Amino acid sequence: MALAVAAMAGCATAEKKMNDLKIAHSAYTAGNLDIRYAHMALALSETESVRRFAETMIRDHTAVNDQAVALITKLKVTPQDNPLSQALVKGASEKRNELSALRGKAFDCAYAQNELGYHQVVNKTVAGEFIPNTTQPELKSLLTNALATFKVHEGHAGKMVEGLKCG
Amino acid sequence: MRLMATSRREFGARLGALLLLPLATSGSARAAGGRTHKVEIRNFAFSPAELTIAPGDTVEWVNVDIVPHTATEQHDGAWDTGELKKGQSGKLTFDQTGTQAYYCAFHPNMKGRIQVRTA
Ligand SMILES: [Cu+2]
Repeated sequence: MALAVAAMAGCATAEKKMNDLKIAHSAYTAGNLDIRYAHMALALSETESVRRFAETMIRDHTAVNDQAVALITKLKVTPQDNPLSQALVKGASEKRNELSALRGKAFDCAYAQNELGYHQVVNKTVAGEFIPNTTQPELKSLLTNALATFKVHEGHAGKMVEGLKCG
Repeated sequence: MRLMATSRREFGARLGALLLLPLATSGSARAAGGRTHKVEIRNFAFSPAELTIAPGDTVEWVNVDIVPHTATEQHDGAWDTGELKKGQSGKLTFDQTGTQAYYCAFHPNMKGRIQVRTA
């Protein structure tokens, strides 16, 4: 989490404004990484609330990313890899390593807390950087709908953390 | 029948006394007389969230959000539209009076209620 926050904050200052193609790449990457976390949760957790949350992450982020693919296909553009996407990938890979060593309640709590933190950081970035800097109207609209979705996930993750009583 | 676009899902489940009976054996006479009430699923909410209908009426949920939702009976999942993707809809007919509380099985904070009562 701390790494992801630092990576995103660092990027925001290093690169004042991201263009549409970089924003699209990073938004898509952020969704894909959450899907990977979810698959890990389905492989490692036996807890009903955690598994249902993970299933919803896969279902929702897949739906959002499918629409992003449909949009970039229609616009005939190619998203651009960029330092933020790279930092997200690196941060998530480290977090997955950490999570993969955990089992039982320790896994559930670490996964749930990471989901809460991850959605908080991504939402802040989508609201504060991606949406204001996007110029293509359909991409802006998709990001706005995606943000509404991710905010629900953030609330859901908070409830999951509470319910697990991780202390 | 004009409304039956290809993206729509038809469930046709009848609740209450006819619960669990296949559609073919359910009372078609009442289905013909019942009204259909539309509930839109938008911005992670059922709209309207509260609905009063008459026995034999049908509720049709239409999902306009970008992610899939469901309308699922709250207590034990006695009825369920199944997954409704963007642009899909599902219908259920309610034959018995009473209150039906429901939620989205994917986003449990989304809640709705249907009151079935004779006028
Ligand atoms: Cu939902």
